[in-house]
Amino acid sequence: MLTFATSVIERRLTIEAAHTTHPYEVGWAGEAVFFVQVEGTHPALSVQAQISPDGLHWVDRGTPTTVAADDEIVALELANFGGWLRLAITGATSEQPARVLVHLALKG
Amino acid sequence: MQKVMAYERGLEKYNPLKTVVTYDDFDRGFNGWMDLTPNFVNDDYRHHPSEVDLASWAPTMLSAAPMRFAATHGSMEGTYSLKLNTKPVANRYEEKPANGSMGCALKRLSNFDPNLRYVQMETWYAYTPQQDRLGFGEEDLRAFGFYFDLQDTEYRWMPGVRYVNSVNGKLTKKWQYWKVAEGVTKKDWCYGREDGWQRPGIDNLWYGRRFPDGSADAFQWVPDGDQDLLYNESPDKINWLYLRLLVDYQRREYVELQSMDRTFDLRGLTPTLSDPYKSITNLINPIFFVETDTNRSVNLFLDSVVYSTE
Repeated sequence: MLTFATSVIERRLTIEAAHTTHPYEVGWAGEAVFFVQVEGTHPALSVQAQISPDGLHWVDRGTPTTVAADDEIVALELANFGGWLRLAITGATSEQPARVLVHLALKG
Repeated sequence: MQKVMAYERGLEKYNPLKTVVTYDDFDRGFNGWMDLTPNFVNDDYRHHPSEVDLASWAPTMLSAAPMRFAATHGSMEGTYSLKLNTKPVANRYEEKPANGSMGCALKRLSNFDPNLRYVQMETWYAYTPQQDRLGFGEEDLRAFGFYFDLQDTEYRWMPGVRYVNSVNGKLTKKWQYWKVAEGVTKKDWCYGREDGWQRPGIDNLWYGRRFPDGSADAFQWVPDGDQDLLYNESPDKINWLYLRLLVDYQRREYVELQSMDRTFDLRGLTPTLSDPYKSITNLINPIFFVETDTNRSVNLFLDSVVYSTE
């Protein structure tokens, strides 16, 4: 039987600028899915997965996903990601903030 | 029927009481340990308003303890430990904890023994800050510790211990036990609020006044509680240390704290007894925590944890 865990990485965080999520260790997992939910009115957001050798230095992995202004949730699937994952979320501003709820579902 | 008990060899490094209720080796996953969060039960799934943002603590994870230059440490036995960590943010010690400046992991258990006398928690653990800047790093981890959140038929109470490693960048390295100082009011406890659900003796981790010498309303110094814990010479090196807390459930008293090769006699010391809360009689939640002292993420790695009773 596989190990499975869902972690809440951002818990209804209001962002008003480019934001990167907390570095999360995923070396034990073979597959990962980020779910990004945006609550209430928000601008279009771009969500880019990033990987890292050490939790300090980051490189983009895969293509960015867009959360349109009328979208409430998107999912990003990942495999072959090494030991660390995070998301870079851009598009929110002080005039057009966004409230995000980010889950990371891991299996391995 | 004759029973034959054979313990896993991994228990050899522990000293459990008669009944091993849970033995959690994090090579086998989270084992039910999870992030500590508030109750999302109000309108729009909001939690109760609070002076401290209880939904902001950094997420707990399974870690191979990978280091920037030293590579992967693995765990004491195996590859993975449970990693509590913080976000890179802190207020000064005497201020209320900054959002995200702690990591908390708990397991949600209950009492099944009508004659329960002792509860004990043991762990092998390690700690270090993230290696995101030059230097030794030891002074950037404020504190870590363990407590039980308990409710029996009469009281809710939270016996625990806290290692105050550093206060505003000054190494302190002393143990505290959880007990609210005499005369602390609800207003003292809740950062000036007299309303709200918070009560002195509940959630000492983030309530009560804190003072620049490391003392606090919520914690008292363990007698002769100085201890120079083993911190290796760089943020990318960790060593595994032993911790054990024994509590007398019937007398509602501390018994002893063992840390590495020292045992502190805590007999006669008591945690704060609070009025019971609704619907949680027999609650037994073991909880670990870590706190950062500056704008730096710090880590507490648990190789494994044993909860035992007698």
